[in-house]
Amino acid sequence: MEHVDQLIPAHALRALDPDDERIVTAHLSYCERCRTQLREFEGVAAALAYASPSMAAPTELRGRVLAAIAPVAAPQTAPAAAVPARRRAPRFGWWPRPSLVAVPALGAAVVALALWNVSLHDSLSNRSVTGVTPVGGVANAVSYRNGGVTLFAKLPTAAAGHVYEAWVIHGANSTPLAAGTFRGGILSFTLTRDASRGDTISITLEPGSGGPAPRGPTVASGQLT
Amino acid sequence: MTDERRTRDPATEHLSDHGLLALTARGDRDAFARLYDMYSAVAYSLAVRIVRDRDLAADVVQDAFVNVWNQAAKFDPSRGQPSSWILTMTHHKAVDMVRREERRRTEPLESGAEMVDGAPPIEDTAWLGLARDQVRQAMQKLPDPHREVIELAYFAGFSQSELAERLSLPIGTVKSRTFAAMTTLRQLLSESGLNPEHEWNTSTS
Repeated sequence: MEHVDQLIPAHALRALDPDDERIVTAHLSYCERCRTQLREFEGVAAALAYASPSMAAPTELRGRVLAAIAPVAAPQTAPAAAVPARRRAPRFGWWPRPSLVAVPALGAAVVALALWNVSLHDSLSNRSVTGVTPVGGVANAVSYRNGGVTLFAKLPTAAAGHVYEAWVIHGANSTPLAAGTFRGGILSFTLTRDASRGDTISITLEPGSGGPAPRGPTVASGQLT
Repeated sequence: MTDERRTRDPATEHLSDHGLLALTARGDRDAFARLYDMYSAVAYSLAVRIVRDRDLAADVVQDAFVNVWNQAAKFDPSRGQPSSWILTMTHHKAVDMVRREERRRTEPLESGAEMVDGAPPIEDTAWLGLARDQVRQAMQKLPDPHREVIELAYFAGFSQSELAERLSLPIGTVKSRTFAAMTTLRQLLSESGLNPEHEWNTSTS
């Protein structure tokens, strides 16, 4: 018989036959290592969901779902725990975090980085988004009225010993100011420094963990509109 | 989409998925609604693909999200991403339904695209498009026999013994292909920057 851990991926796919399912479920109840494996493979399985042709859920379904969660079914109220509020340190899970506004198609050369099913028009009218700027062909920068800027980027993972570093350049000739580092991949990244219209956002590839002044090559840049 | 769908509560906009789920666990309907708005499209797309019926797919998504509401307090944050949890739940319910309804299909997924004709595509937003590209590229890199077992298991709801029968393969071959394919996918998604369940600290500190 195969090792139980070889059945974990199939378990994540919900493809096990009943006998194997029982064996794996029993094993998972006491094996932390296999639970970790399962979590990873469930992440892979969930990723497969994104390969499906995109469809919008029926509009009325939202109302049905909200009606189905009757107030009496509300889970118990726990003491008010601090809920993580992240503006500066967005999560970088394996898949992109759906964010709050949409970016329109910005041309074939621009990676169409945008957000979920909200239109730009909607965002611009309802939120504090002030603009969407392409940064090279690898990122879009969404600017907020409060000066915050979030990059939505698709970059190869930086080589070992390197990081990408974002920079804000106020005006035309001023010194680039460090605005955070990241490793690459598909990501959303909120700059650690505010920027506004007319400022330039650039991304460089830096040795080590980056630094206060750019040393590496510029990967992309764009002026906020 | 209606205005209702687009309602955004400023109180929840900045929250992480984990934060939204924590609020949902406390009975916060706005936080729950936001999770729904973020993941209902991909959940519905997945459900349609599996059950091949839009009404049944809507039922699946409703079941899954009601479960999210009811089970949110039991969600263990160390278990992984809420999005994975939501989509896993959706997938399980869809597979259970397709098995109950015996609606499963034998064709692999290339025919799936036809299912969406006439359906309003959701805005092809970048994150969704990028995620789709990355996953599809990873799938394309699998050897055909490996991709086949993944597609038939995940999207058509076949169990391993059913796959063995359908594909005229020894059950051991189905198992080894499934294991190899999923292990390869995990590696490919990780290399592409889509790192399952791991978070990056991108702060400069």
